[in-house]
Formats: sequence, structure tokens, C-alpha cells
Amino acid sequence: MSIVYFEDIEEGDEIPFIDLFLSKDQVRQYARTAHMYVPRFTDDEGARAEGLPGMIAPGVMSMGLLARMISDWNQAAMIKRIGTTFRSPVLPDRNLHLRGAVTQKNEDDHTVECDIWMENDEGERWVIGTTTVAVPTKS
Amino acid sequence: MALEFDRSMLGKVFDETPFPPVTKEEILEFAAALGETNPLYTNEAAAIKGPYGGLIAPPTFVTKLRAQKFTPEHLPRFGKVGFDGGRDLEIYAPVRPGDELTMLSTIHDIYEKTGRTGSMYFIVIRNEVKNQKGEKVAVIDHRIMQR
Amino acid sequence: MAHILDLHLHSEASDDSRAPVEAYLKWLARKRDERPLEGLVLTEHRQFNQAGDYRELEDKYGILILKASEVETDYGHMLVYGVNDDILKRFDFKNVRLPAQEVITEVTRLGGVAMPCHPGRPTIGLIEHYQKKPPLEGVVGVEALNGGSKKGENERVAGLVQAYGYHAFGGSDSHLVSFVGLCATEFDRDIQNIEELVEALRAGGYRPLDFRLQRPQTPIISEVSNNGSGI
Repeated sequence: MSIVYFEDIEEGDEIPFIDLFLSKDQVRQYARTAHMYVPRFTDDEGARAEGLPGMIAPGVMSMGLLARMISDWNQAAMIKRIGTTFRSPVLPDRNLHLRGAVTQKNEDDHTVECDIWMENDEGERWVIGTTTVAVPTKS
Repeated sequence: MALEFDRSMLGKVFDETPFPPVTKEEILEFAAALGETNPLYTNEAAAIKGPYGGLIAPPTFVTKLRAQKFTPEHLPRFGKVGFDGGRDLEIYAPVRPGDELTMLSTIHDIYEKTGRTGSMYFIVIRNEVKNQKGEKVAVIDHRIMQR
Repeated sequence: MAHILDLHLHSEASDDSRAPVEAYLKWLARKRDERPLEGLVLTEHRQFNQAGDYRELEDKYGILILKASEVETDYGHMLVYGVNDDILKRFDFKNVRLPAQEVITEVTRLGGVAMPCHPGRPTIGLIEHYQKKPPLEGVVGVEALNGGSKKGENERVAGLVQAYGYHAFGGSDSHLVSFVGLCATEFDRDIQNIEELVEALRAGGYRPLDFRLQRPQTPIISEVSNNGSGI
């Protein structure tokens, strides 16, 4: 964990990525804590009954993981705004890759805009979004 | 199915839900479920010495708040199944243990488009979250996709 | 002067994109070596962005910026280039069930050109529709390379292009700043404005370009998390 200052960030910087294997148990753990313990997020059969290929991770779990990527990058970063589009259902029991890049620095309020996304091993972007993050300044 | 609904329902509050006080355990559990390691969200002793003077919840914590009514009762169903199409979250104040949050829900917009899975109808629910001091904590736009 | 253009982009004017046009331009300036683009075409969803005026940005960044639309039809999505008042009067771009044959024929008659995009995509791509319905008359080209496609979707288009003799172009389908120009189109002729783009798209003499970086082999990560905390 480290603190990254506004002055040390450049437009075009990549956010340190996170590669993880998302297990079904981890999805169930999230579903439990988020009061979302329903078949589509916990059970393959139940999810298929709703027309899904199998149990999926809640969209907000993906959003939370992308927010964590920002926090892992910069301990002192405060997310002011985060928006994500859930383009494809996120199926567990596979590798997922969290990625981000700084697209803009705002001098007036020391925030940075970042693109954030989650992709699978084939580079398909299942979740895409942006976030506005307030970061500390040295001055 | 064509997109037909009573446009006067846009912008009207259809639900107000109070929540029991946020607990420290809830915050720690939520942080653990996302693999957060930032001491602000995971270590009370360290967080007390930090900029917020105490433990705070990770930024997407407010997305776990579930209103009593998901959508207004009289809203027509545009499809058989509903999915989360996306969320936009603006954060104004951190969530702390002991906070008593209230959420107001309105329908912000309804529209239609086509995608890989066919015709999709989007209902955008705007949830405004306040705390016990009347401070705005967050605004969440939730795009519910029905098909 | 532009030979290499990204023909398929969404700015914040599209409901599901979060990319300001200037941010696209700044990103391209930074990534010039990897993505040597000279022009962008903003193809906003279900609308033509009349109000968008990008002339100052064109001058500032030296990149041609043209406006177009992505519409939804009964044969999938199409990019409409050369949108004018006559075309806007003829078709309501907000309609997600536009009659595809009429769109192709009438847009051509009224001075533009409509080109099916992501033809290999389920439901909203041409290939699936051609499997159950007669082919459309008057299609001149299709988007053979789309930056937002899933595995197999772009590959499938080669067969379509060969069977019907369509021209092939490329576009990023970018909804985020950093995805601009990942796929593009190279024209033999120089494109300076929308009229020349329409002429060129109808005539041929272009091909898709792929600027996506090669993906490294990703190892299978074990279930024990990479930071020891559960995920």
C-alpha cells in the first residue's frame, strides 16, 4: 500500500493491474454480506432457471473490485464518483483481470479521471467504467 | 413490445427506506469480501489515526442498501427478467459505524435499446442516501435492464 | 489530411460512453507511436449530435473529427455516415427497429451511406440475420474489425465479406478514452471532410487496421489469492 501524490501522477499512467481467480465461494461470500444471497449469485441450477449460463457475480461486486484496484494503487485516494456498465455477466471459476488508466488530471481540485475495466483471458471487456478520484497533493 | 409508460412517474419519490445503524462488523465483512487491505476500511486502530478519525466503509458499500420497493408497484414490466445494467455512484460523505442511513428512490429515466441479447429496456432508478445528520452521503443511479 | 481514421467511436453524447472528445484527442497525441490516427468519426447511439462543434479541437490537435450515427435496425446495428437534414426527417434515429432495407436504400439516395457494424455479433449483427432472412440490397461495406467484439465475432466476418464482395473497414467502438483507435481504417485516398468519407466508403480502396497490442499468455492463477486476503 502506498500513497501516490497528484504531482507524481501523469495522464496516460496505467493503474497497477490486478489478476485474480474469482471462485464461486468468493462470490457467495460477497452475496451474503451484500444481502444478495439469491440463486442467480449462489447456485448454478438456480441461475440457469433464469436463463443464465450458470451463477454469476453481482455487477456491484465487479464495481467493488475495481474500486479496490484504485485503493490498492493509492491508499490515500478517495473515490468521488465511479460509474460502471455491466456489459456481460461475470461468470466465476475463472481468471479475471482488473485494469485501469489515468486519462485526465484536474489541476483545480486535484482529482484524476481514470478508465477502469474488467476483462477475461481473451481480452473481452465484461465491465467498463470510469472513476473520478481525489488524491493528496504534496503542496 | 413498444415502450409505453406514464411519463408523470419520472422524478417522483416512490420509496423511502430507513436502515438500521451501520455496524463495524458489517464494514469489516464488506471490505473482506472485496479483498480490501486499506487500513481505512480494515483496521480500526490504524483508521483512528488516519484522516477520517475512524473506520469508514469502502466506497461501494452504499450499493448493498436495498430499498423496500425495487421499482414502483404500478411500473409496467417491460421484460420477463431483470438484470443490473450498470451503476453510477457519486460519493459525498463517508459511511461510518453507527450511521443511520435513509434512502429515497425515484425513477430517473426509462429507455430502450438493442444489444447482443435482443431488445432491452432500461429503467434508471436514482437512489439518494442521507445520514442521521441530514448530510447527503451518496447518489446512486441504478440501470435495471429488463428483457 | 487523413488516411487513417477510427470510423466507430462514442463520446459522452452517447448514453453509455464516458469519453469527452478532447480526452480522446489527448490520448491519441500520447499514443501516436502505437496508434497513428489522423481522424476520428463520432458515431453516437440513436442520434445525430447536431450541436457538437469540434472545429477548435481539430485545429488544436491536428486530427480530423467527423460526426455520424449508430442506428438500430431489424438487421442489426448500422453506422450512418453523411447524416443530413433529409436523412433525419426520413428516419427517427431513436427507433430501435428501423427497417434495414429502407435505411440502406434511402440513406444512399439522400446522400449518405449506411454500413452494418459488428456484423458477427449475436442479435445485433448482420450475419445472424442473413441466416434467416434474405440479404440486403445495396450494402457496400461492413465493419470487419470492431474493437469491442468478443472472441470469434470479428473472425466470422471474413466469410460474409467474401460471399458478398463487401468492402471491409475497422473501428474501435470505443466507449472509454483509452480504447480510442485500437481498431481503425486505412484509406488509399485522403479524407478531408464527410462528403469525401462517404464517397470513399462507397467506392472502396480501404482496409481495417488493428492496433491492439498482442496479449501476453496469462498463467492460470491459483485459488489462493495473490494478496493473501481471500481474493
